[in-house]
Amino acid sequence: MNNKKIFRGVLAALLAALMMLSIVACVPATQNEEEYYTYNTFTTISPTNWNELTYQDNNDTQIMSYLGSSFFTFDFKFDENGEIVTGDFEIKYEAATKLEDVTAAYAEAWGLPADGKGYAYKITLRDDLKWQNGDPIKAEDFVYTMEQQLDPAFKNYRADSFYVGATIIANAQGYAKQNETIENLDNGVAGLYTLADLVKNADGVYTQPDGSAIYFALTTPLDWCGGKTVTQYSPYMNADSFAALQALADENGYVAITDETVALWTTLIYTEDWGFEGPENLPYYWIIPSYTYPEMTFDKVGIFAASDYELVLVLEKSLDLLKEDGSLSYKAAYNMASLPLVHKATYEANKQEPASGSDLWTSTYNSSVETTMSWGPYKLESFQAGKQYTLVKNDQWFGYALPENEGLYQTDKIVCDTIEEWNSAWVKFLAGEIDGIGIDVSVADDYKGSDRAYFTPDDFVASLQLQSSEEQLAARQSAGVNKTILADVRFRKALSLSINRADFAAETTTSSLQGFGLYNSMHYYDVANGKAYRESDAAKKVLCEIYNVDYTQYATLDEAVDAITGYDIDAARALVTEAYNDALAAGKISATDKVVITMGSGAINETVQRRFDYITEAWKELVKGTPLEGRLETEVKDFGSAWAEDFRAGKYDVCMGGWTGAAWDPGYFLLAYLSPAYMYSAAWDTSSQEMTFTMMGEEYTMSLMDWYNCLNGTGEHDWSDVALDQEDRLPLIAALEKEVLKVYYTVPLYNNFSASLLSYKVDYITYTYNTFMAYGGMKYMTYNFTDAEWAEQVAEANGEFDYK
Amino acid sequence: MYMFKYICKRVGLMLVIFSIIFVICFVLIRLVPINTSVGLGQDKDILIAQIKDRGYDKPIPEQLVLYIQRIVKDGDFGRAYDKMPNIKMNTPVIDVFIERLPPTILINIMSSLLAVPVGIALGIFAALKKNKWQDHVISTAVMVIISVPSFVYGSLFLYVICFKLGILPKEIASLPAIAKQYALQYIPFTANWDLYFNPTMIKSMLPAVLCMSFGSIAGYTRFTRAELTEVLTSEFMLLARTKGLTKSQATVRHALRNAMVPIFPSIIGEVLSVLSGSLVIERIFSIPGVGALYLNAINAQDYDFFMLLSSFYLLVGLAAGLVIDLSYGFIDPRIRMGAK
Repeated sequence: MNNKKIFRGVLAALLAALMMLSIVACVPATQNEEEYYTYNTFTTISPTNWNELTYQDNNDTQIMSYLGSSFFTFDFKFDENGEIVTGDFEIKYEAATKLEDVTAAYAEAWGLPADGKGYAYKITLRDDLKWQNGDPIKAEDFVYTMEQQLDPAFKNYRADSFYVGATIIANAQGYAKQNETIENLDNGVAGLYTLADLVKNADGVYTQPDGSAIYFALTTPLDWCGGKTVTQYSPYMNADSFAALQALADENGYVAITDETVALWTTLIYTEDWGFEGPENLPYYWIIPSYTYPEMTFDKVGIFAASDYELVLVLEKSLDLLKEDGSLSYKAAYNMASLPLVHKATYEANKQEPASGSDLWTSTYNSSVETTMSWGPYKLESFQAGKQYTLVKNDQWFGYALPENEGLYQTDKIVCDTIEEWNSAWVKFLAGEIDGIGIDVSVADDYKGSDRAYFTPDDFVASLQLQSSEEQLAARQSAGVNKTILADVRFRKALSLSINRADFAAETTTSSLQGFGLYNSMHYYDVANGKAYRESDAAKKVLCEIYNVDYTQYATLDEAVDAITGYDIDAARALVTEAYNDALAAGKISATDKVVITMGSGAINETVQRRFDYITEAWKELVKGTPLEGRLETEVKDFGSAWAEDFRAGKYDVCMGGWTGAAWDPGYFLLAYLSPAYMYSAAWDTSSQEMTFTMMGEEYTMSLMDWYNCLNGTGEHDWSDVALDQEDRLPLIAALEKEVLKVYYTVPLYNNFSASLLSYKVDYITYTYNTFMAYGGMKYMTYNFTDAEWAEQVAEANGEFDYK
Repeated sequence: MYMFKYICKRVGLMLVIFSIIFVICFVLIRLVPINTSVGLGQDKDILIAQIKDRGYDKPIPEQLVLYIQRIVKDGDFGRAYDKMPNIKMNTPVIDVFIERLPPTILINIMSSLLAVPVGIALGIFAALKKNKWQDHVISTAVMVIISVPSFVYGSLFLYVICFKLGILPKEIASLPAIAKQYALQYIPFTANWDLYFNPTMIKSMLPAVLCMSFGSIAGYTRFTRAELTEVLTSEFMLLARTKGLTKSQATVRHALRNAMVPIFPSIIGEVLSVLSGSLVIERIFSIPGVGALYLNAINAQDYDFFMLLSSFYLLVGLAAGLVIDLSYGFIDPRIRMGAK
């Protein structure tokens, strides 16, 4: 009886708890019954800072891209039937109405080449540009914003956008760095002085114009030398001159600049091994022990308003934004799509004084609804960091009134949830609560064939990066464990040839495709004419040569390229045997040593593990039938957020990585693989590795870095895209790609493709990816259902759509 | 008086332990070199300037003094660094923490409110039905729930209850949406407590609450059953029955009270530990709580976040230990802390 009472009590408590839950669960879900079109999407990491002056990563640009406008913009090219011309594009004026090259008008005042082009531009703005609150936008607002962008008191993250890279505004760097003191400033990089700029003092020593010291540097690392010193390169230079200069050097390795040392240095670098450098290159060897950027007023920076709606921009490096016929070149939309713009009153109100113990100012502008101002097609309606943001149409945007936009921009509202877990997003997608999602490898087989699936390429080529520091490899060897065999290029090539790229991509990625080169189909060497690098004959030959495919045996180069698999196990085994036998003979490996390859990553998740497992199996297969059979092992280690630094420091042997960016400038992109500052493993000495190549009809022998510098207009020859036609530069880009590939420190594996599903609610204008317009974005997105209609569809589908 | 002295001594010891661990954490995290790599075409000087501005280039002892000075003088616990996911660089870390605490606390408290009575009730029932089929069913269910990791039943719950059956929302509601629905105001970087107490928000928290409670219910059930089973076989229970108490009177007045001596402190411990949140459940139901902050702070090498969270959890842990110890004295008058 008593037990029954207790049982009844427990039951009552349980029922009460369940009733409470049921009551709350019965609260009706609010439904959006309005007749507008809402695009529901998600992100795994929330944007937090869409301030153009300080945004940190691509997550932030999610919101930023809707809040601003472009002076010039890419658009699809349509044929006479209104159909999109595949792969083609147009450049159109948007927030600007006119672009003029005004170099001649400002040449004298700004010291520009008198006959130069592309150094100064006047941009005429539309006169109906407005902020979301109706405040007008004038040219002066862009000038104010640039002053804030470069303000040295803030050290804004994006200040370098205007003094590093293609768009260099006159004196922007000087203004941003004023009063900043740099130790051991490399004159070769800073480009401050030539001999004519220096002042010769009574004692015969040359100094900077203000009397500060400047020296030849014997033992100071020089950035343009890949961080190496002249002393390290002295074997390639004149030995007598070097000895004489050493005798004159002080304890820091500095040599005072005098007529005597200028003469000595001139002979020092004029050797065959050093490429017979001339005296004009002497300033590259100067170092300024301590350089303080002088104070500067903003009127010295190359941006100003010529009138209310005319903005003038003076550049240090010319940019061809206009074609010969005066129409916009692709660079107008690529390099000068817009300039940063902040709403002055809001920006001023959100400046934050330096925190305790700090010197730098910060800003909360564009980090919440209250601090955000839009002059683009959408404005921020709500934002909760790490959870959700919503955007609605900005009725002050000039674009909605333009006749060419009639029927476009159907989307009334954008709702973006932050959902870290893919499975959580997936059930929301199937339930019709979000309108697009990337296909995870776990469901790829079921959904890759869906008629709602689409595939997006990007410029990322995932590659194996192999350790290039033999010294570090040797340091990590132990009794019975060999690693230095990785320093043998034949062994690295064997590792490369043992991996079937197509199979690797199919087994370890959702939708990526085999990759063989540093570049993929997204890299354009001649954007204006729509020429992709990988489609060129020069680029195809590089791949054939690297992967041992004799293209002369095929009817066409395309057939030869199609025959490449990257996999040649017999050749690979022969290379392993050769490398091993030579190492054995040289005493670098013993007959019982194991070769242990340490693979590292920033996180060992399922995907990473799957890839490393595949590679392990491939390499175990590789050594079968070779003297290393059963003696090659791999291990996988998690190096956390320091994985890249640790790899550079030589702490492990193999990582996976690649580069994105500069997809339309493959010449510049080579920096990532040739400069020690960017290489994954930085021990490959590209400043001494030479290449002989015929350029513009003349044969030259130079270091790879010198070739790179010439290709980008910063070396002895100017073979930049300003000086040369793109077709003339192409062979050199291909030659350098081949040089990088043939040392096998970088082993390309796959070209990244992402597979996605789009809900039945919306449609893109095209499902053929366009490099310039993608799928048309929000501008061209169309809706099959209003929100209310979609809710009915969801109800009819019982909350679960079938996308298979 | 004994008790007072004991508390003072324990608090003093707590502060000493806190200081030692605080310094160890501070030194260890700063021994990990900060990432200074930049992408193609970026000026490294800007990053270096930002790092210097935070004093990260100074000797560690000097950094420690400056850090404590800032906290004591200005209440400034530091600013978020640039790689912390979902958090704007330079945002005061304390503001982020305050905004993210409410969902974590509420979900865990609701989970405890559900788990404690249900778990104890099931435990009592199982103990009273020891070795009968009811006990076997409960014990088996408890073992299953305890053995299955939270991401499994979290994902299952999401798939079955929220997706297939559509009974509950798939994620927690956003604060701006709640503010709009109930004509309230959402203020970033504050706790926004008023936005959490409404049917829409509570309903959206239920999936997480229920998932969080499964493990606790199982734990309390197992613990209560074990304790009560032992007490029910004690000699004083026989005495209670022989002096004329009914079985339920003896169970409620004597057995339960004695069994609660170890159970009650565990409840206090769990309630205090709710502040740490659940990384897995918060991820599955997209809850912007504190669960992931600590891990993210370590991955992002965000020194200020790491120190704030380390200090907070350390204090909570030490305080929980103290409160649990003291609670024994209140539950069982026979126990007097510090008495000789």
